Amino acid sequence: MTNLSLADLAGYLRQLGEGALITLELFFASFTLAFVLGVLIGVVTLSRNRFIRAAWRVYASVFMGVPSLLVIFLIFYGGSAMLAAVLGEFGARIDISPFGAGVAALGIVYAAYIAELVRGAIENLPKGQFEGARALAIPPLIMWGRVILPQVMRLALPGLVNVWSFMLKETPLVSLAGLQDLVAAAKIAAGATKEPFLFFVATALLFIAFSAASLWLANRLEARLDRGQRRAPVRSSAQAEA
Amino acid sequence: MIARPPASDLAGDLAPAPVAPAILLAGVVKRYGAHRALAGVDLQVQRGEKVVICGPSGSGKSTLIRCINALERHDGGRIVVNGIELTGDEGTVQDIRQEVGMVFQHFNLFPHLTALENCMLAPQLNRGLSKAQAEKLAMAHLERVHLADQARKYPARLSGGQQQRVAIARALCMEPRILLFDEPTSALDPEMVKEVLGVIEELAASGVTMVCVTHEMGFARRVADRCVFMDRGEIVEEGGAQDFFDAPKSERLRHFLAQILR
Repeated sequence: MTNLSLADLAGYLRQLGEGALITLELFFASFTLAFVLGVLIGVVTLSRNRFIRAAWRVYASVFMGVPSLLVIFLIFYGGSAMLAAVLGEFGARIDISPFGAGVAALGIVYAAYIAELVRGAIENLPKGQFEGARALAIPPLIMWGRVILPQVMRLALPGLVNVWSFMLKETPLVSLAGLQDLVAAAKIAAGATKEPFLFFVATALLFIAFSAASLWLANRLEARLDRGQRRAPVRSSAQAEA
Repeated sequence: MIARPPASDLAGDLAPAPVAPAILLAGVVKRYGAHRALAGVDLQVQRGEKVVICGPSGSGKSTLIRCINALERHDGGRIVVNGIELTGDEGTVQDIRQEVGMVFQHFNLFPHLTALENCMLAPQLNRGLSKAQAEKLAMAHLERVHLADQARKYPARLSGGQQQRVAIARALCMEPRILLFDEPTSALDPEMVKEVLGVIEELAASGVTMVCVTHEMGFARRVADRCVFMDRGEIVEEGGAQDFFDAPKSERLRHFLAQILR
């Protein structure tokens, strides 16, 4: 720490904190979008309809094959033009912010991965679960909400936690479209103070803290979704005889 | 089979109003690709009647009862349940499923819900019961299958026999007029078969209409008004339990009985 006053340090750390908030906002918004889209796509693509299947294959190969950064750029730089093409006059007046582009891009890309997970989990559920619900005349939407998806979430949770972690680590890409997120703030502070080590390590520690919080949350969720899964302790023969 | 003359023959003062059969199947066909799982089945089940269906695996017996509540869609012929004709219309399917309870070989309980919640779900959704009403109803039916004390447990903590009894209670909570059983004891350990059959026999005494696919012959003798033997997608022989088991007429049924009695 050569020529960095305490006041300067506090100022840069505050900027780091503001950047961290933006990173978290971006992350939660894009994960929510990816989750909602992914579950919907996962359910809809169970259909045997050829057009739905073909549309899904195109979607999956595009967004799983193209780097996320490219998708962010496409939406940020090309989004206004696309909206104008779709919505006409009205769309041309919409300006796409780096934040909006980031949420849209990460949401759309990771929805493809979540859809895969959800579809796999649904296909692994015993068919009897659907038949049990149908035989009880439970309407389809409620069957999905109350019977199928709670079980699907339990099966898909480990995969979802992976997607969650990946997405968190991909958020800094949006800084390349101009978003003042945690990594952007760290870069500015590192450049201005010539203390790259200090600020990048601090940033890394913040990401580690987010991950730790995520794991804690995932464990809580797992405990909740696993209710009803534990078998009764099997009595040993010795106990039974006693 | 209890003889039931057509309504027009009942001239007496005590003649009941004309009663449609609980279930009417006429020429029902079900195909899986080129294979005909049901090759034109005719069957009538009267209200309150208990019918046992047996036959070798692949004979179409499960397919038959799964067509009755439209878990499988039939490709030809007519199915009328409680006077409602089963068409492709989703509304009639829901109407029929409200009247028909089904118990499956593998129970199909929802593992993330307790026994009580399994029983409460459908009545709350379909019959507009409040939570308290649904819970009261569910407890009454769990009591009926002798499981009131296990109501708060998750299915994984119950034995197979207990799970199947919860599944029966769950079907009863819709207060159906018809109950379908698809090999209700086939997935159970031998020592649990009796408790499940016992509960079904108690239900049979209550006057509900029952169609049960099973090979439990003692049960069939005690409960069935009529036994139906299916083979290769068609009904080969039917009759009262006594004749059916002791004096089978067709060679195929004789052969089948020899197989399962061996």
